[in-house]
Amino acid sequence: MPLLIHNTMSQNAVEPMQVDAPPEDNDNNEDEIYVVENPSLDLEVYANSYTGLAKLYRLSFIIDHCPSLRLEALKMAISYVMVTYNVNLYQLLHQKLSELTGPMCVPDVAISTTSQDIPVIDNMWMETRSKKAALKLEKLDNDLKNYKANSIKESIRRGHDDLGDHYLDCGDLSNALKCYSRARDYCTSGKHVVNMCLNVIKVSVYLQNWSHVLSYVSKAESTPDFNENQAQTKDLYQITMTKLKCAAGLAELATGKYKSAAKHFLHANLDHCDFPELLSPNNVAMYGGLCALATFDRHELQKNVIFSSSFKLFLELEPQLRDIIFKFYESKYASCLKSLDEIKDNLLLDLYIAPHINTLYTQIRNRALIQYFSPYLSADMHKMAVAFNRSVSALEDELMQLILDGQIQARIDSHNKILFAKDVDQRSTTFEKSLAMGKKYQRRTRMLILRASVLRNKIHVKSPQRETTGQSGETTVAPGTSSVMLARN
Amino acid sequence: MASPLEHFVNTVRTQTINGTFRELVEYLSKTNEILQKNSQHLDNVLETLDFQQHSLGVLYLLCAKFNYINPTAQDNRFTQAQGFIQDCNGEQIRLAPDVFAELCHLITKYLTEIKQPMKGIDLMRKAIAKLRLFDAQLTSIHADLCQLCLLAKCFKPALEILNIDITGICQETSSSSNNSQFDAKYFLLYFYYGGMIYLALKNLDRALYFFEVAITIPAHAVSHVMLEAYKKYVIVSLLLHGKEQPIPKYASHVVNRFIKPLSQPYGALAAAFELNNNLELNNVINKHTEVFARDHNLGLVKQVSSVLYKKNIQRLTKTFLTLSLSDVASRVGLQSPSDAERYILYMIEEKQIYATINQKDGMVIFLDEPDKHSGSEVLKELETELSLCMELDKQILAMDCDIQVNPQFVRKATGGQDDEQPNKSTYAM
Repeated sequence: MPLLIHNTMSQNAVEPMQVDAPPEDNDNNEDEIYVVENPSLDLEVYANSYTGLAKLYRLSFIIDHCPSLRLEALKMAISYVMVTYNVNLYQLLHQKLSELTGPMCVPDVAISTTSQDIPVIDNMWMETRSKKAALKLEKLDNDLKNYKANSIKESIRRGHDDLGDHYLDCGDLSNALKCYSRARDYCTSGKHVVNMCLNVIKVSVYLQNWSHVLSYVSKAESTPDFNENQAQTKDLYQITMTKLKCAAGLAELATGKYKSAAKHFLHANLDHCDFPELLSPNNVAMYGGLCALATFDRHELQKNVIFSSSFKLFLELEPQLRDIIFKFYESKYASCLKSLDEIKDNLLLDLYIAPHINTLYTQIRNRALIQYFSPYLSADMHKMAVAFNRSVSALEDELMQLILDGQIQARIDSHNKILFAKDVDQRSTTFEKSLAMGKKYQRRTRMLILRASVLRNKIHVKSPQRETTGQSGETTVAPGTSSVMLARN
Repeated sequence: MASPLEHFVNTVRTQTINGTFRELVEYLSKTNEILQKNSQHLDNVLETLDFQQHSLGVLYLLCAKFNYINPTAQDNRFTQAQGFIQDCNGEQIRLAPDVFAELCHLITKYLTEIKQPMKGIDLMRKAIAKLRLFDAQLTSIHADLCQLCLLAKCFKPALEILNIDITGICQETSSSSNNSQFDAKYFLLYFYYGGMIYLALKNLDRALYFFEVAITIPAHAVSHVMLEAYKKYVIVSLLLHGKEQPIPKYASHVVNRFIKPLSQPYGALAAAFELNNNLELNNVINKHTEVFARDHNLGLVKQVSSVLYKKNIQRLTKTFLTLSLSDVASRVGLQSPSDAERYILYMIEEKQIYATINQKDGMVIFLDEPDKHSGSEVLKELETELSLCMELDKQILAMDCDIQVNPQFVRKATGGQDDEQPNKSTYAM
């Protein structure tokens, strides 16, 4: 079933990016803000931490969402796409470029008029590139056929992998996925299985097929001789493990399960974090840190993030995030939230976390509010508003929501703007609960007894019965009588 | 008098004297055709029989009369039926419960047509009393009684019946007819009408229970009664609990697959209600007004709308200690502070919230609920609830016992494992 979706996607290679349509609206609203504050993102460095499609996708995301960096990103993307066989994407990028450079210079004319550093669409390149791609495809295909004729398992597996690599290079994701998955039948060792899983995971991430990612992660993890087979391999094992953890974390993040995403990311190991086709170590730090901040309680945060020796190294990569987490832990909420807002723009340019930023930020905020109030019996809302950079009335709304969700046990004195902790009368709640439970029990039991006798008497609504005159006749009476009752109401 | 009818009368008389009622029922069930052919003489035959003594014969005659003769101006059928149900012999009619119930349905139909439902209420109560073996037994006449009560807008008589929880169902089969199990139609109608009666009396809890029974009946096809019951179920659960109660898992798949899509406007209503946004809700109501009006649920839907205001005010009491009236109005979505004041006043009077309004500065002060759980009354209430629960528990145990000693069950339970059986008993010893 997913393959159908892939097919439509692969026709337009950039399509996966547009999957998360709703958040884009938010981004567009905030485009102006990017323009002002964006310099904090060094595009060059950013792009260099990725390879392959990951780089292209991330650049495309920036192209779509940030006007100030659009031109630079486009140039970078085009020069990078020239190395691959991805002709479709090349065309698409050029199309975007021509939209950007404006109607006054149509690309063909542009040769003479525009400055040198704006690349020009190269039809020759496209043609030769497609030809070369086709040739390579044919060659690989033939190779594979040969291997199959000779039925050498190892070669067949490699053949499939090579073919998959090539498809990936051309941007044909669904075929790449097919090839990689086919290699599965020819795996002879645990290493191969894990390798196959990693390939499939990679493509599935590009396709944003998260359930697929998760299932292959667990498949790889449960491969029997995955950790013992190779001796040299503590390193290799660590690398693979980190890759798997990152992929799983990413999938959980994308499906909105922030807590398990945080747990996965926290298991990553910096020294072995080498996965430029998907994530950079900075990403791991950012994703993991934010998810942890949003979902962990104080104790968990201390134990798993702040005192975690492995994750500390990640945090060093993102000093801002580190400060945020420490400030949160030290209950300096105002500066913590302020710094969070500062990094928000950069995060909104990140392909995977952008759709979740608002939810994560709200959760972090709520957690801060709850923690702030927890030691108090009553709190002055004016002071609280200062601590959270909010107007009093906005704070009131936020608090109201939290109280209704049962996250804060308190009530608001709107007249004096004071928040009072609510003392719950345990005795009367117990009474109420038990009485309600008793009523529920009675209701259920009555229903049970009645249902038992219904079943014993084999009462059924059957279809032929409907055709007899009785039923329809009776039901026409029914609405009539209900109108009688409505008159009373 | 025509000869077949004479034979009819003679048979009825002799068999009654001999006390061979079963044979009589068998004979009577074959007389339909004769009675239909000689329908103009039925009154004469009726005169020759005694209601009390020859209940079975009279029953069949009356049934034929209701079935085959079109009502005329000077019609004595109702008085006859009334007399019969008053005087008939319960033991005899219980041999032909299906015909007796059929007679009641016919009477109900007749009364509905001549628009005098009030007349039949008492009669139906008597009929139910004659037919059922114990108080908690359901007969198909229950549905007739509820229907008449609804039409007459006179609910008290029905309540006596409705308040008894059904534990058994009358097997309306007689030796004459082999197919008529208790008809699902009357079961559904009873619970549908019953629910409506409770709804009219504002006993929402019970109403919801009745509608729930109606929609959880085993079903292979969509019944219109179920559909209507489902619509009301949605509305009542909004009124009572403020959200759409989930349909019990044991409900037939028909409910989810067909009935839900068929009552889509009600789903939209529930979804809008759960957003706690009156504007949204009113939009939905306006959009589907026609459907609601056609289903005769518009009044209820309007109640839903006003309940949402109240629900929102109640939510405020949970979060605020003091709040100005204008804030209340804006948070709840009411037009003006005076509207809010009206609602709050009403709710305070109804003891739905505990608050005081300070008119000088327009503030509402929400108070904690006073402690309701002290004093001897609470203990008494607890006691009664407990005894009710225990009573039910006993019933369940008794039912369990019945199943344990049911030969069929024993055979099935032990059947597959004959070898293990001796082992078990030795362990037991």
